[in-house]
Amino acid sequence: MVSASASAQIKFFAFQKDSIPVFRGFAVSFDLVGAGLMAFSNNGQYEGALRVNLHDEWFPIVEVGLGKANHSDDVTHIHYDTKAPYFRIGIDKNMLKDKHGKNRLYAGLRYAYTSYKVNISRPTFPDPVWQWDTDTYNIQDASCSQHWIEAVVGVDAKIFGPLHLGWSLRYKRRISHSQDIDFGRSWYVPGYGMDGDTRLGGTFNVIIDI
Amino acid sequence: MKRLSYIWMILLLTACSSIDCPVNSIVETIWKVYDGKGQELKLADTLTVTTVRKDAQVITVLNGRDATVLNKLTEKSTFNLPISYSHPEDVFVFHFDNSNNNNLHVTDTVWITKNDYAHFESVDCNSIFFHTLTGIRYTNHYLDSIVIKNPSVTYDYETVHLHIYPKSSN
Repeated sequence: MVSASASAQIKFFAFQKDSIPVFRGFAVSFDLVGAGLMAFSNNGQYEGALRVNLHDEWFPIVEVGLGKANHSDDVTHIHYDTKAPYFRIGIDKNMLKDKHGKNRLYAGLRYAYTSYKVNISRPTFPDPVWQWDTDTYNIQDASCSQHWIEAVVGVDAKIFGPLHLGWSLRYKRRISHSQDIDFGRSWYVPGYGMDGDTRLGGTFNVIIDI
Repeated sequence: MKRLSYIWMILLLTACSSIDCPVNSIVETIWKVYDGKGQELKLADTLTVTTVRKDAQVITVLNGRDATVLNKLTEKSTFNLPISYSHPEDVFVFHFDNSNNNNLHVTDTVWITKNDYAHFESVDCNSIFFHTLTGIRYTNHYLDSIVIKNPSVTYDYETVHLHIYPKSSN
C-alpha cells in the first residue's frame, strides 16, 4: 500500500517518457483583468509573467506587477492611495493526460510578496462631542509589507502560431503582514487585493511563446 | 476534475469578502472609583460631568448638543467618558451633588493630556482616533487622586483606564 502510494507520487512529479525534449522554451504573458480594473475601477494592477515550459508538464513561473489603488469614499470622505510593485514565484503542472496537445489545464502554487506605502487622509471634520475641527486624520507614507501564497487553477488554449489565451482562478491566503506604524489595517494590498486573510482573484492572460 | 470543482466551491465560500467595520467602534475612557483601601466604591453622591471648551469657557449647550457627558450617575463604581478626537488636552468638570448630605455640591476640574493617533479600518468605516494618555491633573475639592492605570485608549471596552479616589472625608 505504502509502495503504491510512493510510486504514484513519483509518477506525479516525473516527466512522461517520450521523444519530446525537457526544455520546451519560454512564454511571456500579460493579464487583461488587472489592466481592466486599473482602467475602470479605483484599484487594479498591471501584471506580466515569464514562464518556462518543461516538457509541457511543469511550468516554473515568475509574475511581476504594479498594483495601485486611489479611492475617495463619498460617505466617509476617507481617501486611500497606494502604488507598489509585487512579485510571485511558483510552478504550475499541466493536469491533462495529453501533455503535448494544444490546450492545457494547470494547477499550481505561488509565493508572493509586496512592500508598499499607504496614504490615508480625510478633510477637516467636527469632533462629535467638542465640535471643534479635527484636521489631523492623516497617515502619510506608512510602510507595509505582506507575504502570501496562492493556489491556482487555469487553462491555456493555443489560438494560432505562438499566441495563446488563458485564464486562471486564484485562492489567496495571507501568511504575514507588517507595518512600521500601527495605524490599523490596509484597505488594498498591491497584487493581493482588498485586505483580508483570504481573497479570490483571477486573470485573463494573453500568452506568447518565445 | 469533480474533486477540483468541490475544492474550488469550498474556497469560494471561505474567501468571500464583506465590509467588516468593528461592531464596537466607540473609543472612550473607562473610569473606576476606589476607596482609600483600594476597594471598589459605589458613589453615594450623584456625579455629573460636563466638558469645557478649548477657550476654557464652560459650556452648557453647544451647537444644540448638551455638553453634559455624564448625567447624574449614582450607586455605580464604573463610568465612561468621551475622549476628544484630536486635541492635546481634554478638560472635564466633575459635579458631585447630594441633597441628603448637607446639600452637597462640590466641583473638581480634571485636565487630561494625551497623544492622538488616526486609526484606519477601511474606507467604508468611520474615522477613528486611538489615544495614549500622557498625564492628568485635577483639583482636590472632592477628589483625593486620579491615577492612569492603562494609558492606551482604543476600541477595548473592558480595560479600565483611570482609577479615581474620592477623599474619605466626603
